[in-house]
Amino acid sequence: MSESASGNAPKPSSSVKLVLLGEAAVGKSSLVLRFVNDDFQENKEPTIGAAFLTQKCSLPTRTIKFEIWDTAGQERFASLAPMYYRNAQAALVVYDVTKPSSLTKAKHWVAELQRQASPGIVIALVGNKLDLTNDGGDASSASPSAREPESAEGDEEGAGQEEGDAQDATPGDARKVSTREASTYAEEESLLFFETSAKTGTNVVDVFTAIANAIPESSLKTGKGPAAGQTGLGGRAADESRVNLGDRNTATAKEGCAC
Amino acid sequence: METLAQTSWDVIIAGTDLAQSLLALALSRSGKKILHLDQNQYYGGSEAAFSLDEAQEWMNSVNQRRGRSPFEDVEILSYQHSQDPAQLASDPPKLAASRAYTLSLSPYFLYTRSALISALLSSKVYRQLEFMAMGSWWIYTPDSLASDGDDPVATRAFHRVPGNREDVFADKHISMKSKRALMRFLRHISKSEDEAPEEAAAEDLSVPFGQYLSSNFSVPEDLHDPLISLSLSQLSRQETTASYAVPRVKRHLASIGSLGPGFGGVVSKYGCGSEILQVACRASAVGGGVYALDTGVQKITDETSEDEYPVEVHLSNGEKLRSKFVVGSAWTLSADTPELFGSKVARSVSVVSSDFASLFPVTVEGAPVPASALLMFPGDKLNSPQSPPVYLQIHSSDTGDCPRQQSIIYGGVSVPGPEGQALLESAVNKLIQAEGPKAIILWSLRYTQLGRLSNDGTPLDIAFEDDLLDTVKESWLKVAGDVDPNDFMIFDDREGTSDE
Repeated sequence: MSESASGNAPKPSSSVKLVLLGEAAVGKSSLVLRFVNDDFQENKEPTIGAAFLTQKCSLPTRTIKFEIWDTAGQERFASLAPMYYRNAQAALVVYDVTKPSSLTKAKHWVAELQRQASPGIVIALVGNKLDLTNDGGDASSASPSAREPESAEGDEEGAGQEEGDAQDATPGDARKVSTREASTYAEEESLLFFETSAKTGTNVVDVFTAIANAIPESSLKTGKGPAAGQTGLGGRAADESRVNLGDRNTATAKEGCAC
Repeated sequence: METLAQTSWDVIIAGTDLAQSLLALALSRSGKKILHLDQNQYYGGSEAAFSLDEAQEWMNSVNQRRGRSPFEDVEILSYQHSQDPAQLASDPPKLAASRAYTLSLSPYFLYTRSALISALLSSKVYRQLEFMAMGSWWIYTPDSLASDGDDPVATRAFHRVPGNREDVFADKHISMKSKRALMRFLRHISKSEDEAPEEAAAEDLSVPFGQYLSSNFSVPEDLHDPLISLSLSQLSRQETTASYAVPRVKRHLASIGSLGPGFGGVVSKYGCGSEILQVACRASAVGGGVYALDTGVQKITDETSEDEYPVEVHLSNGEKLRSKFVVGSAWTLSADTPELFGSKVARSVSVVSSDFASLFPVTVEGAPVPASALLMFPGDKLNSPQSPPVYLQIHSSDTGDCPRQQSIIYGGVSVPGPEGQALLESAVNKLIQAEGPKAIILWSLRYTQLGRLSNDGTPLDIAFEDDLLDTVKESWLKVAGDVDPNDFMIFDDREGTSDE
């Protein structure tokens, strides 16, 4: 995503904590890698090391700085810590369109988020590996299957069903989860919904832009630091009371009474 | 289904208490294959933090499995307050949703010069933590209550302990003569041993701290408790020796200002120790450590010492694993109840409908607004002259432990059982009374904890004690093998994680 250089006055900038969830090997880290570095690694090893990445997303009226938290593999034995969810304003729940069990797992994560995370969290359900289906692959072709829940209605839905079923039957098409099945679920749970390919880049930036747009202005705090959830309003400004440990080496201020 | 037995592990760490989690952090860049387990469904073991609902589950589990954790006699009280009409008319204070609370079993604060702060900095995990300043120390002084006609606020029953030289001079409650004595003592202990070696050697520090203050510096008796409170001694006056208290008062004074003006301690947001250990575990997971909750160590056999992975570990889920090392605590490695620990303390956690704003003054220009204050109730002020003092640590909502307009009071006294709980209750009630009618207790948790004071057992201390890090370092040296001891906890930022 390019930083738009329009206008001289800097737009207000806010940090958004985004957590990444989904079954192993659905491409969580690849999506982020595509978003952050516009890069893709075939046969990527399971995530080790990258657990916290940041990327700016420029909207017409403001800039959102995503602080993206990978699970660091802690999801494997149901061992994510409360601090992982704490104050997350957005979540990306990823499944693999070629693997039905991964959608089941995604539903489990959505339920977990609804139980653990802040009440106003924006959740996006993302079916990845669209390049393995007949309608993916090419970044230049606008994907008709990617749509936000509000647009998935009426006749279109019927069409999606047909399309999905037809795709399942097409030889060489690895799709096992129809667009309609996932989008219906997303609509029921009020989730944003996209199908993406981290490999080709299809829809990847769109996911993050949609999340950025969906985050209510009221839950954004400008400047550094995640919004303080339920303690956000009417209190003392956080900066007044936070202690910056990074300052220790420079702080030579008055020593106590040992002077 | 992925199984843990598919791997031969370099180390299996049992339990996610702070010590084990810090070991995992220390090993997080070693390339070792680490399996980190906890028998509970949550992180932290005896240093966990809970929502209201989780606290309820914890109580049930502890009380059902007596002898399997360092806790006893857990009790939760919900309060039905008789509503007086005046309060009903407005909005009666009530509990918020269960998850609005983070009630910590490890509410200790960190002195700013603590080795743990250094380790959190050098390992770079501090970036995922938020710290708030400790505020003032207060001594319960009930005699001031009667003479004071002010509006009800908690400070009318408490005196603030002077935290520095300016404070001493400004204090209205201390006579000039006492101030001079106090200054003599403060000047004395601020001298390093290098400056006055003979003096240091000649001192008799085996006497009670009070006696030391009186005979060496003529510090009047009414200043003994404030000075004891700076040492955080949880022993009675007689048992608190000068050798125990003096270095700890020094530590207190030397900490003030080292991280910024006006404070000497910090609390980690969202449950103190509990949050720190989660961040440590996460750093270990980022380095490739495997985490499994709800999985304990049932049995360890160590027979094939020739083997590269000599230890066989039986897990509670039936799996059998092999590892080079197994590290844990008495509570996480042994099937039997461990030998009785040294101390038992009564503890309580209370949710109160007041922000106790008067107890959180900013006392130095430019200082951050404190999020925590420490109250000390000498035994005699609670009609129990022989008993050790009660300490209450108040967390404001800035700690993230509770919603706005409420506070959490963490209480502790090193007297076990009902007697200890009675002292705690009495102290909390005195604070509530002083604060006036807007302060009511909404919910409380009471329990007895087994452990050690200032040792490597379950920490019962009010401040984090650095010797825990020494035991972590020892284990790290053993497991990591060929390493430079000076590299302990020193890491670079991982790619993409630093501030740009």
